[in-house]
Amino acid sequence: MDPSVQADDVWDAGDMGCGELVFLLAQRTRALGPGKVLELVATDLGAPHDVPAWCRLTGNALLVANPPHYFIRSKES
Amino acid sequence: MAGKLCVSITNAKNDADRATVGFVVANAAVGSAQETMVFLSTEAVRLAVKGYADDIHEEGFAPLRDLLANFVKGGGTIFVCSPCFKKRGLDEKALVDGATIVGGAKVVEFLASGAPCISY
Repeated sequence: MDPSVQADDVWDAGDMGCGELVFLLAQRTRALGPGKVLELVATDLGAPHDVPAWCRLTGNALLVANPPHYFIRSKES
Repeated sequence: MAGKLCVSITNAKNDADRATVGFVVANAAVGSAQETMVFLSTEAVRLAVKGYADDIHEEGFAPLRDLLANFVKGGGTIFVCSPCFKKRGLDEKALVDGATIVGGAKVVEFLASGAPCISY
């Protein structure tokens, strides 16, 4: 884990995956506000591929991917 | 490669004909220089478990085990629906070569890049 990355909020999504995970992840990052960092904890088997794909699709920055931990900076606008 | 194609398969031994033809088309796509992804969801996730497809051989087609192996050897990728796999209590350590367990975002990313999709 990169100790220099500080999260503004943490969301433990447990074993949630697929559409439910990314739908709620979108709501979480939006609610957090632009430029803020969310630490996501997701144990779903698909998450190591899904979370980076979701970040690429939505323009949110994946700062750290160390499954099951992910640090995501919400996009600026 | 010239383009992309997704082949969505939702059947396994419950409809071996559809499962087989899906992989026949996927092999045709790989053989036609297309970046091809087979998306296995619902019942079809069973095809991603080693050994499951070994006794599926539809009349008029190659055995599904060979179709699957050739597809991967030809450069095709297999995405396996995570919640469908988990729901059936299957073993992620027994995946066939070339298969990856993914969720919706990974499939959406592939399709959003402009790939058409054919379903079986």
